[in-house]
Amino acid sequence: MSKDYDVCIIGSGAGGGPVALELAKAGKSVLVLEKGPWLTEKDFYKDELACCRHSVYTPQLADEKHVIEEQYQDGSWQGESTEESGWDFWNGNVVGGSSNFMSGFFYRLKAKDFHLLSEFGPIKGANIADWPISYDELEPYYTKAETEIGISGQVEQHQHQEPRSTKDFPYPPTFEHPIVKHIDKACEQLGFTSLKTPRAILSKPDMGRKSCEYSGYCGSYGCSTGAKGSSRAALLNRAIKTGNCKILPNAKVVKIESDNKGNVTSVKYFDENNIEKSVSAKIVVVACQAIETSRLLLTSTGPKHPNGLGNNNNQLGKNLLFSAGGSGTGEFTYSKLDKLTADQLKIRGPFVNRNLQDWYFINDKKMGGSAKGGTIDFLLRHPNPISKAMRLKRDDNDKLVWGNELKRKIKSAFVSTQDLRFEVFNDWLPTDNCFVSLDHKVKDKWGSAVAKIRIGYHEHDLKVGEYLSQKAVKVLQQMNADNIRYNVSGSPPANLVAGGCRFGNDIKTSVLNKDCKVHDVDNLYVTDGSFMPTGGSVPYTWTIYANSFRVADIIKKRV
Amino acid sequence: MVQSTSLNRRRFMQLLATVAAAYPLSGLSENRQQALVSNHVSKEPWVTISSVQEHLFPADKNSPGASDINALLYLQNMMATPDFDKERAELIHNGVGWLNDLAKQQHSKTFIQLDSTTKENILRRVESSNAGSRWLSTLLTYLIEALLSDPVYQGNPDGIGWNWLQHQPGFPLPTENKKYFKIGKNRYRHTKA
Repeated sequence: MSKDYDVCIIGSGAGGGPVALELAKAGKSVLVLEKGPWLTEKDFYKDELACCRHSVYTPQLADEKHVIEEQYQDGSWQGESTEESGWDFWNGNVVGGSSNFMSGFFYRLKAKDFHLLSEFGPIKGANIADWPISYDELEPYYTKAETEIGISGQVEQHQHQEPRSTKDFPYPPTFEHPIVKHIDKACEQLGFTSLKTPRAILSKPDMGRKSCEYSGYCGSYGCSTGAKGSSRAALLNRAIKTGNCKILPNAKVVKIESDNKGNVTSVKYFDENNIEKSVSAKIVVVACQAIETSRLLLTSTGPKHPNGLGNNNNQLGKNLLFSAGGSGTGEFTYSKLDKLTADQLKIRGPFVNRNLQDWYFINDKKMGGSAKGGTIDFLLRHPNPISKAMRLKRDDNDKLVWGNELKRKIKSAFVSTQDLRFEVFNDWLPTDNCFVSLDHKVKDKWGSAVAKIRIGYHEHDLKVGEYLSQKAVKVLQQMNADNIRYNVSGSPPANLVAGGCRFGNDIKTSVLNKDCKVHDVDNLYVTDGSFMPTGGSVPYTWTIYANSFRVADIIKKRV
Repeated sequence: MVQSTSLNRRRFMQLLATVAAAYPLSGLSENRQQALVSNHVSKEPWVTISSVQEHLFPADKNSPGASDINALLYLQNMMATPDFDKERAELIHNGVGWLNDLAKQQHSKTFIQLDSTTKENILRRVESSNAGSRWLSTLLTYLIEALLSDPVYQGNPDGIGWNWLQHQPGFPLPTENKKYFKIGKNRYRHTKA
C-alpha cells in the first residue's frame, strides 16, 4: 500500500529536528506535525509578559492540562489538575519546541553515565539500568551536533573531561561577563577547576543565522537573532530548504493507528481548523517531549497493543526522569566594592559561562565512597524585572507590603546588588514513584485523557544535591558574597524531563530497542529524551540532539 | 467615545479636583489624560481603584507613583485582553464593593473620601480576609506590571519605571503588532472539539 510520506515526525523540538533534517537531506519525503504555531525571529521580542507571565508559547491550562500526583503525609498519592494548581508542566508548544526557550547550557554525558549500574552498583529503591549503547557509539553524534546546531565553547582538560573525536568546538566561546574573573579567582584559591560552559549559541554568524547580540535576556525567551541553536533555527529551516520537508503547525496528533500485525498504519490529527485528518507514512517518529510522548503512545491502543502502543510489558511511561539538585544565590553589594568593580558587575549582556564538574564523580567517605555526583552551573539572576519585584510583594510573615515600604524594597533590590546564582544538576534516580499514566477523568479540549504524572523522588537525590550545593556555597563565600542562601528539593523542574520509554535489550524491562525503535512495532521510533534509562547530571538537550542524529542514520538505511 | 480634546481636558480636570487630589499634575501628558477619560475613569469601579492604587504605590519627589506609571490604564488594558481570567475580573470589581461597604459602615464615607491614615487602616482590615487579601494582591500585581512591563502596554510610560530602578531592558522590544496576545493567534482558533 502506498504511503503519503516516507517519514512522519510528531513534534518538532530537539528530538524531531535532527531526523527531519537528515531524512530530508537524503531525499526522503518528510512531514512534521507540530501542535503549536510556527513562530519565527520576527515574533520574538524581549517582552516579559509574552515570555513569562502569559501562556503565549504554551497552551492555556483550561484547554490542556496535566494531573500531578504528589504523596501526602499518610502515604497516599493524590492528583491535582494543573488548571487548579497553576503548576504549569508545558514547555514550548511551537515549531522548534522548547529548544526555542532554552538557556543552551550544553554538556555531553560522561562515558560512565552509560553504565551507572555496572559502575556504582544498585541503590535501594532506584531502577538504575545500564544503557544498551556506549559513549563511544554516541560520540560521533555529539560531535555532529556541535556543527549542525552551532555549539560554542572551549575544551579545557580536567579530570572528568569526556573523550572527543575533534580537538575543540567549531565556534569560540560567547563573550563573558566580568564576574567570571572573580569566579575563576575564587575557584583557583579553593583548588577547584572552573570550566567554560559550552553554549548552543552562535558566537559568530554562520549557516544563515546571525551571531548572538547579547541583549542579556536569553533563557525563557525566543531568540531574535537566530543565534540560539533551537531545532527550528538550526535544523528545520534547513530541512525545508531541501524541498523534501513539510512542517504542519497547529496540527494536534490524537492517535497513532496500528494494524493486526501491531505496526503503525496512520496518524490521526486535528488541523488548524479543528478538522480531523489522517496521514500515513512508512515510518513514524514520536518526539513530543517525554511526558506527552508517553501519553500519546498510551492513548494509541490497537489490536496488538490493547494497553497502548508498545506497552505489552507495562513499561510505557515508567521511570520518568526530571533533573535533581538545587539552586542558590549570593549578593554582591555595589557600595562595598570599588567603583570600577561595581560598574563591571552591573553590566548586562555577556554570559557567565562557568561551571564546576570536579564532583561529577565523587570519592568521599561522606557519600559512602565512590558515588555519582553532578554539575554546578553559575549564572546571573534572571533579568526579568517583574518577577524580581513580584517577590517583594509579601514580607517574611506573608503579609502584603505596599506604600513607601514596597517602593523602598523594590528600589533597594534593583540598584544595590548584583546577584550571582548557581544551579546544581544531579541524577534524578528512576523509581517506581515517578511515571506517566492516563487520567481518564480529566480530558483536554479534544476529549483525550490527559497525562497524569506521579512526581516521587529518591532521597538519595537530595543527599547529592546537598553535597554539591555546599561546594558551590564555598565559591560564593570565597567571593565574599553577602546573604548566601540555597535550596535543595525534590520538586521536579518541569523543563528538564526525560525517560518514560527507556531503551534496552530486553522487551520485558524496556519500551525501545537500542535503535530507539519500539520493540514490538516495526515502523515506530521515539527520538526525544524519552529513551534515557538514566539522565546524567547535566541538562539533556545536547544528548537528545545527538541521539536523534544517531537514530536518523538508522532510519535512513530503512527508507 | 468622548469627542473633543477640550472636553477631555475639562472633564479630566474636574475629575482630578474631585477624585484624586493627590495626583501630581505636572507629570501627566495630554495623551494620558485622554486615555484615562476615554476609559471612564470617572465611573466606578475605576474611581475607587485609582485611589487604592495611589495609596498602594504613592508618588514622591524622587519616584513615580501609580498615576505616573499609568497604573489604572494598564489595568484596564489588561482586563480588556482576550484571555483575561473571568474570575479575576470579577474579583477586581467585587473588591471595590467590599471596600466601600466597609468604609460606609465604619466612617459613613466612600473610600476616596477618607484621609490617608484611615485608608491605610481600612485596607489592612480588608487584607485580613482571604478574599480581601487576594484582591489587594491582585491590584499590587498589576501595579508592579505597570511599573516594569514594556511601555507598549501603556504602563511604564517612556520607561519611567525602568529609569527609576536603573533597569536595562533587553532588545528588540515589542511593537504594537507584537503584543503578547497577538502572537501565535492560531492558538485561539481552536475551540472545544
